[in-house]
Amino acid sequence: MTVSPTASTAPEGAVREASSITLDGLRKRFDGDAIALDGVDLTIHAGEFFTLLGPSGCGKTTLLRILAGLEAPDDGTLTIGGRDVTTTPPHLRSVNTVFQSYALFPHLSVSENIAFGLRMKGVPVDERRARVDRIAEFIKLGALLERGVNQLSGGQRQRVALARALVCEPDVLLLDEPLSALDAGLRTQLQVELQRTQKRLGMTFVFVTHDQDEAMVMSDRIAVLDNGVIQQVGPPHEVYERPINAFVAKFMGHVNLFAIEAVDADRVTTGLGELVMDPPLEKSGHSGVLLIRQEVVELGHAVSEGYNGLEGVVKERHYRGSRIEYRLEINGVTLMATAANLGQRLYAVDDRVTVSIHPEDIVRLNA
Amino acid sequence: MADSPYPLAPYSHSLSPDTRHLLWSVAPGVVWIVIFLVLPSLYLISVAFMTNGPYGQPQMPLSLASFRQLAGFGFLGWSPGNLYTLLRSLWQTLVATGLVVLIAYPIAYHISTCRRQWRAIMLLAVVVPSWTNQVIRAFGWMNLLSPGTPISQVAQFFGFIGPNMGLYPSNFAVTLGLMYNFLPFMVLPLYAAFEKLDTGLVEAARDLYASPLRAFWHAVFPQTLPGLLAGTVLVSIPAFGMYVIPELLGGGRAMMLGNLVASQFSGGSNWPLGAAGALIMLLATLGGLYAMRKVGKRLGGGEEVVI
Amino acid sequence: MRRSAFRRSLTLFWWLMVAFLYLPLGVIVLYSFNAANSAAYFAGFSLRWYERLLGNDQLLTALGNTLVLGVASSVIALVIGTLIGYGMYRHRRRKLGWLIALIYLPIVMPDIVFGISEMAFFITLDREFGVLGPSLATMIIAHVTFQIPFVALIVYSRFVGLDPTLFEAAKDLYASPFQRARHFLLPTLKPSLVAAFFLAFTLSVDDFVISFFTAGPENATLPIYIWGAIRRGVSPEINAIATLMILSVAIAAVISLLFNKESRRN
Repeated sequence: MTVSPTASTAPEGAVREASSITLDGLRKRFDGDAIALDGVDLTIHAGEFFTLLGPSGCGKTTLLRILAGLEAPDDGTLTIGGRDVTTTPPHLRSVNTVFQSYALFPHLSVSENIAFGLRMKGVPVDERRARVDRIAEFIKLGALLERGVNQLSGGQRQRVALARALVCEPDVLLLDEPLSALDAGLRTQLQVELQRTQKRLGMTFVFVTHDQDEAMVMSDRIAVLDNGVIQQVGPPHEVYERPINAFVAKFMGHVNLFAIEAVDADRVTTGLGELVMDPPLEKSGHSGVLLIRQEVVELGHAVSEGYNGLEGVVKERHYRGSRIEYRLEINGVTLMATAANLGQRLYAVDDRVTVSIHPEDIVRLNA
Repeated sequence: MADSPYPLAPYSHSLSPDTRHLLWSVAPGVVWIVIFLVLPSLYLISVAFMTNGPYGQPQMPLSLASFRQLAGFGFLGWSPGNLYTLLRSLWQTLVATGLVVLIAYPIAYHISTCRRQWRAIMLLAVVVPSWTNQVIRAFGWMNLLSPGTPISQVAQFFGFIGPNMGLYPSNFAVTLGLMYNFLPFMVLPLYAAFEKLDTGLVEAARDLYASPLRAFWHAVFPQTLPGLLAGTVLVSIPAFGMYVIPELLGGGRAMMLGNLVASQFSGGSNWPLGAAGALIMLLATLGGLYAMRKVGKRLGGGEEVVI
Repeated sequence: MRRSAFRRSLTLFWWLMVAFLYLPLGVIVLYSFNAANSAAYFAGFSLRWYERLLGNDQLLTALGNTLVLGVASSVIALVIGTLIGYGMYRHRRRKLGWLIALIYLPIVMPDIVFGISEMAFFITLDREFGVLGPSLATMIIAHVTFQIPFVALIVYSRFVGLDPTLFEAAKDLYASPFQRARHFLLPTLKPSLVAAFFLAFTLSVDDFVISFFTAGPENATLPIYIWGAIRRGVSPEINAIATLMILSVAIAAVISLLFNKESRRN
């Protein structure tokens, strides 16, 4: 086992040299079911907060379970920290998981739960106690240590599950939608805490979620999965602003997607009308769709200099507090627009508005 | 530590190790039940089709003689004794089950309307007597019903029994014993049904019909049918095969099928005849369970089995 | 007002039923202290029937048999039944209808048929091959057979109530297969195992019919002894021994109930 039980480094700072993960041609199919993973190649860098994002059934959980060793791939190899662990059973991998249900042992107290992994690895009692105390302080669990796990709230359980995994100082920490059972406020708070913890420890985190906001807030990089295939890998701003295809765009919350009908000189024709793009599309790029993010659509009475100008009618208005969403109709096509609520007069339903879109803000994607 | 000392095989989900694990864990129990219950039962069934030997032992050739005897055809021509026993078993089962329903239904309802912390204790109160040995419970009734006891004297006073007689042995004592024995088996599933009762439906029915009787019939009764069904099976199947109670409380004229079967293996020593009776009990059991599954599926609640 | 009359009559009915349920047991307890040898009247308090029990060798042998039978069969059934319960849980996604049918067989079979088929089987084995003649061993075999399903169902239902990812968490936290059994499965199951043992023991002590038909002449258990004593003629001594049995079974049952409650709370 590569984990040295004598490692007595404080949890602050780099606990151990973080490990990179390499996935090469991973395939997995369940009996009778559809393909769960269809050839996944991926490199996760050491010390990275990496998120697997996708709808349910996309294979993200299967991928995480393969990393944990709870599921074996049909094909392909998995390397963690340069060591091939494809066939290593879970209890011999230096990988720990925070489960969606937290999976705290009901017959053990909080401190016994946290110490479980150390006990199984044969860490002596004194050191075990010291490490549990240190992690409890780090995660702010001090007062809970002697409680039974049934007396904990959802957020507390989540913290205990995190402490139980972290105390083992694994090469990689896996998190399987650990925040999905919590209510919105607590969730936001724990997202920040998790990210902070990861940065302080410098450990490699692999996080699974179906919530694109959560993924963007926390991650260094995101992999978007669909049907067992990785669609796009990149930092949050890249995945959000330059999605590679319509699926990724829709999953990241974009709604303004328009099929390209024709490309003529520097103009692209869609249902909205003719638009100028910068840089202009190549002639060969006349298939696919255009993405216009809601927040780049500017509303006003005149077209700004160098912008595409369109005329539309407000059909619906959704008040969201800090911002306003408008559903506009242009040439019989719907365009959604978001405007910051700056306190000026809002447009009303049936108002005619002029829409400005900068050529650089129009992105072409594959269908 | 480049290579893991553990091969993947035991952890993979391929069929063969998984199947091996299943067999490894259930094999001892399966083998035990097959050898010590399935085989004996099959042997008993085969005995039913053998001929009775001179010392009461089954022998070849195969025949249906035992079933003819069960129907009353003996050396001395036809006699109705065995058929009466069969009919009496059916009748006792029917009466006891019916009376148990009449008692258990209001009791289960009553428990379900009491305060939550009382309910567990009340259920316990119903169940505890059935934890004592059934021989002892029957003996308790022998104490109560024998000649000279207050209950027997009251019965004498009203002329139900002759002077210096007890209420046992009699068919009445057997019915009473059966009811006593099986009451908890009816109360528990009925209580489960009442506890799940959708009170909204009762209120809606009261709102629409106003009459409590009709509200009961249309809103309450149908919801308790699965419990009633489960209880009926739990009571009637073992009641039909009852041995101890008729033996202790019944005397010769209150014999049931279980006693007929048992006597062929001890005193009477006619194994094929006894086995034929046992086969009938087995078929009645399977028939009852089959009927419960059928009806239970239609009621949508056949899964509940109360132990 | 009408409603409260309805409720009051229900309460009355309830107490009548309680009287019906406890009267026979109460009478046994009462007459066990009767100074007179009669079931018809109570002649004053006395412990003479209990004193007589102490000098009754047959009875003490029967008590010994009952305990040996109960403990031995419960231990065997606990091991076999736990394995089945675990197997049923681990492979619950498979089609296990055949296994469930087999497990319910001992529960649904009328005990007289159960007892007689075992008796016929054992007697025939003894006659043909000279093995397994009616004895304490055959009784233990028969008892284990009807105890297995109850143990298996208790263990199975405990597993079903657990979060399935607990098994994976144990693996994930470096527990080897042996450590998983030692530090996760057994401690989690412990209350259910205790409950299952007491239930199996209670069932064994409670059983008369199956014991009666599988016992050899020397292996009378308490219920068989009581049965014989009743058939020989009612004696107040039976009341005394029956009282003791009521007491002990009630205690065992309450213990089982407490443990089951605790295992459910976890």
